[in-house]
Amino acid sequence: MAEHDLTFRAMGSHVRVLVGEPGPGMAPAAAAAEQAQRFVAEFDATLSRFKPDSELCALNADPRERVPASELLRTAFRAGLAAAEQSAGLVDPTLVGEIESAGYVESRADMAGEPLAVALAEAPPRRPARANPSSRWRRIEVDDENGAIARPPGVRFDTGGTGKGLAADLIANRLRGYSRFVVDCGGDIRIGGPDALVRPYEVLVEHPLSGARAFVLKLGSGAVATSGLNVRIWRDEDGRYAHHLLDPASGRPAWTGLIGATALGDTAVEAETSAKAALLSGPDGARAVLAERGGLIVHDSGRVEAVGPLSARPRIRLPDTSSTGALA
Amino acid sequence: MRVTERPVDSGVPTGGGKRRRPGAGPVLWGSIALFAVMFALLTQQLSASQTPAPRPVLVRKVLKRRVITTFVPTPGRASVSTSGSPAPAAEPAQYAPITTAAS
Repeated sequence: MAEHDLTFRAMGSHVRVLVGEPGPGMAPAAAAAEQAQRFVAEFDATLSRFKPDSELCALNADPRERVPASELLRTAFRAGLAAAEQSAGLVDPTLVGEIESAGYVESRADMAGEPLAVALAEAPPRRPARANPSSRWRRIEVDDENGAIARPPGVRFDTGGTGKGLAADLIANRLRGYSRFVVDCGGDIRIGGPDALVRPYEVLVEHPLSGARAFVLKLGSGAVATSGLNVRIWRDEDGRYAHHLLDPASGRPAWTGLIGATALGDTAVEAETSAKAALLSGPDGARAVLAERGGLIVHDSGRVEAVGPLSARPRIRLPDTSSTGALA
Repeated sequence: MRVTERPVDSGVPTGGGKRRRPGAGPVLWGSIALFAVMFALLTQQLSASQTPAPRPVLVRKVLKRRVITTFVPTPGRASVSTSGSPAPAAEPAQYAPITTAAS
């Protein structure tokens, strides 16, 4: 059964939509994929931190405490706050000033990054990231009844930590009813459809240092997401290497002993949050973060470690005698 | 009539031709000496002989087919099966690989 396969660039990354057979009365797969592309364009235009005319930028600059907000913006805020709650403040959506101070003011999607191996050699001593005690995100309120968002003026919000995962989840909601589908927003992947349970998709996990295949997953439903330091590395004004994953406590890029983390989840937002929280927690904390749902962590050395259910031996069906033999 | 008297061979030593049985000491020492000589001879033969060529090692290549099954999906939860490298045989995909990576 052929699937419609559409790939395009958006949100500073690639987006890919695979759509199977439509259910009764549903649009053809090609039309659904194109509709997804239009939705991603709207999503990016509304929520990008790098587009001055986006609704997010307008809200961040608004001096009022309570600001009218579209349903999409409120949804993005709810996702960001849920990520902060899930990660106990490690994935903090209010670090806009800190990320700008670190040098990430404009999109770096088309900029050549510094090599990770060199950055690791010069990085400061490794330590787990910690939540910011002030927890600014706890003072943000999403008011769906009145279509508004309330926050202390000056507290700016960044949807980047959960944006791609949220886009994948929202598109997935629109693709219910198709026999099978994959939504891949920059490596944050959501899979669904009844046929995918029967014939799972094979998802390759890319190694952050070599780019080679580090692991293979077969997913029939749910989501998987990867967070890593191998993209968007730059030197700040002081010549120090920096990246986009900040330690909320210090406001500086986190060097925790891990360079990559992949997490499973029911939704892409959940998986993306788990992946970021695992990477920020360092090796020991990551094992705890990923223990229940499973995931992978990649150490500074490049060693790949499977955690939780992924570390268990796959169930092996005993082979019959005709398939096993000893050759002299 | 001349009668010649001839001793009857009764099988029993008699008179001055009587043979004596060897004592236990000479027998013991003789046995030890014989053993020592034989042992020395065999040792010399073994040490003089060349080391035998090593027997060819039989290499056995054991083939096992591992079939990795998909976890039974639980409603509302992600279903996943996993494998490290090498990957299990998968049905041929009709599309480019799906890859998760940092972006």
